[in-house]
Amino acid sequence: MIFSKILITISRIILPFLLMFGIYIILNGDISVGGGFQGGVIIATSYLLYYFIKGQHPFSLSKMLKIDKYLFIFLPVMVLISYFTRGYFFTNWFDLTYAYEIRRLFLVLLNLVIGLKVAIGFVSLFVVFIEEGNS
Amino acid sequence: MKRFKKIAVALFITLLMIQILLHFDYDETLYNTASQSYYVENGLEETSSKNLVTAIYLDYRLFDSFFEASLLLIVVTGIAFMTIKDEDML
Repeated sequence: MIFSKILITISRIILPFLLMFGIYIILNGDISVGGGFQGGVIIATSYLLYYFIKGQHPFSLSKMLKIDKYLFIFLPVMVLISYFTRGYFFTNWFDLTYAYEIRRLFLVLLNLVIGLKVAIGFVSLFVVFIEEGNS
Repeated sequence: MKRFKKIAVALFITLLMIQILLHFDYDETLYNTASQSYYVENGLEETSSKNLVTAIYLDYRLFDSFFEASLLLIVVTGIAFMTIKDEDML
């Protein structure tokens, strides 16, 4: 599909900044506004801009669903590690005696996983709709 | 007649919103703010997160956000299952 030149040019300008903004929101989710879900949605939107530029989508749907499933296996593993280090389920890995900078690692990692999962989920939704619209 | 009905419904909804806005005073004795004050006082020390929303959804209510992620996976696979016609693609 071919879009108008104005849309393509504006998308080319916005795309890298939008990707960077999404990564920034995910990585700074615990010290400022935002978080994993919002950053993932912004990254998925940048994928939509990529589709506007190229006119085709490069990722295959089955591979993305497979990555989504593996990430969903990875998430409870990360959540349940706290049982072996602290004795409780569904909390931080590190004790209250550790420094803030070390205990922050858990939040950043979990934000990254949730952001990746949301981005892949929304991108596969977009791919489904694009294929449905083109057929 | 149909237009009058629509205008009446719109007026009724606007009146309801104005009623809610008039009754919305920031009196702390009316509302229960126990959980809010607990999060504001202990959120940073217990979860090491400066953003209280992140403190809630990644530490206090991690159980909830975990199943929210599972819900997204189920929704995406369900929509893919309903729309894709190729059998060997899934």
